[in-house]
Amino acid sequence: MFRNQYDNDASTWSPQGCIFQVDYASEAVKQGTAVVGLKSKSHVVLAAVKRSPNELASYMKKIIRIDDHMGIAVAGLTSDARVLSNYLRTEAMRSKMVYGRALPVGRAVNAIGDKAQINTQEYGRRPYGVGLLVIGHDDTGPHLYEFSPSGVVSEYYGYSIGARSQSARTNLERHFEQFADMSLKELIVQGLRALRDTMPQGKQLDSMNTSIGFVGADAKMTILDGDDTQPYLDLLDEGDAAMDTE
Amino acid sequence: MTSIGTGYDLSVSTYSPDGRVFQVEYAQKAVDNSGTAIGLRVKDGVVLAVEKIKHSRLLVPGSNKRIMTAGRHIGVAAAGWMSDTRHLVKRARDEAHHYHSVYKADIPAKIIAERMGMYVQAYTLYSSVRPFGVSTILACVDTDGPQLYMVEPSGQFTGYRGCAAGKGKQAAKTEIEKLKLEELTVRDAVKEAARIIYAAHDEAKDKLFELELSWICAESGMLHAHVPADVLAEAIQHAERSLDEDDDDDDEMEDEDL
Repeated sequence: MFRNQYDNDASTWSPQGCIFQVDYASEAVKQGTAVVGLKSKSHVVLAAVKRSPNELASYMKKIIRIDDHMGIAVAGLTSDARVLSNYLRTEAMRSKMVYGRALPVGRAVNAIGDKAQINTQEYGRRPYGVGLLVIGHDDTGPHLYEFSPSGVVSEYYGYSIGARSQSARTNLERHFEQFADMSLKELIVQGLRALRDTMPQGKQLDSMNTSIGFVGADAKMTILDGDDTQPYLDLLDEGDAAMDTE
Repeated sequence: MTSIGTGYDLSVSTYSPDGRVFQVEYAQKAVDNSGTAIGLRVKDGVVLAVEKIKHSRLLVPGSNKRIMTAGRHIGVAAAGWMSDTRHLVKRARDEAHHYHSVYKADIPAKIIAERMGMYVQAYTLYSSVRPFGVSTILACVDTDGPQLYMVEPSGQFTGYRGCAAGKGKQAAKTEIEKLKLEELTVRDAVKEAARIIYAAHDEAKDKLFELELSWICAESGMLHAHVPADVLAEAIQHAERSLDEDDDDDDEMEDEDL
């Protein structure tokens, strides 16, 4: 009813027990193009749709490498994503320098979760307007986390955020029980399949607008763009053709 | 009964004409919207249980814990915003650590509860911050034995034998009041806590949920720990069986009416 009275800053609760500024920040995440993440017993994969402001411009970066064992995909305000990824990179480096070991993924995401929570509690600050899917591999295996502007961090077998991501989530929910035993190649194709469900009518995934990232027990954090994504997109088409002929 | 606080509810540094601080009451609403958390203090230990409502089947079971440890002998279960909970637990850890570095002893329950209460209360004094949207249930064993405290968004903290917060707190409190807590052992309490969480859970509204259970007792070396897998499984079985029995009782009564 009196929505506009309670939505001016992050230090005001609404009568229903929500903080509207945090909810609005989550809307910014929904404006970003979709990203998908999923994990098997040994690897974690990210797949993202890139947008380009116009034909002459390059496509924006959706997947960012944090360290050899960790990477993130972003949806929302890219500049906020830069701030968080710089912070993560510094923490990852510090872990190596101080403790001589790679930063455990769970700790990394909790650190940015705590950072984001402060922005939801003090006057004069705004919540981060970006959602992240954080992937990493450490001593406890492969991990996929979602970070949201509220500071809440959750661990998933597979997830998707960004525009029209519900379709991807539905696809992932239908198949997630098979992810554990998939090979890296199958996992990437499965991710692309879920990602494709977020594309609007008439648009396709192609080597220009697709970005793939993965990390695993035997694979350092790797990002594929452009022509490097073509083999996987081809496998995606082959899979469809096979299904059609059955 | 809710009265609209129009005009007096925009800032935590404003009283309403009838002496209420509405921003704190709204923070309490955030707690009331979350999954139920309960604590039981019994003869030989303390048990914490949380109804972890899951919004997706894709969530990894056993992750995204809502019961945290703040000092080896202190467990914290929370109802409300998880990100605020993490902030509070971080503070509790700092307090416990600092106390230990000064006094070379584990921080007693009533002192950590007071420190937490004061910290939470500080966020209800200034318009530049907002109150925490969390009720934390602290389980602690110190030289006075097992203890249980709950800290609410207003900063109020009270010692309890049994307490509940969150959506199902009314149903949970009714069940807890029926128990003879001074006579139960931790093993019994674990089963009762599971049963109460399952009973307070609203199947219609939130289909997916996971039970999280932790204890401080002799079996855990008087340290706070999540219960071992076999104890958890036994507790869940007991809870599910009680739910079925309640359903059977309802069926029997219908037959008698015929």
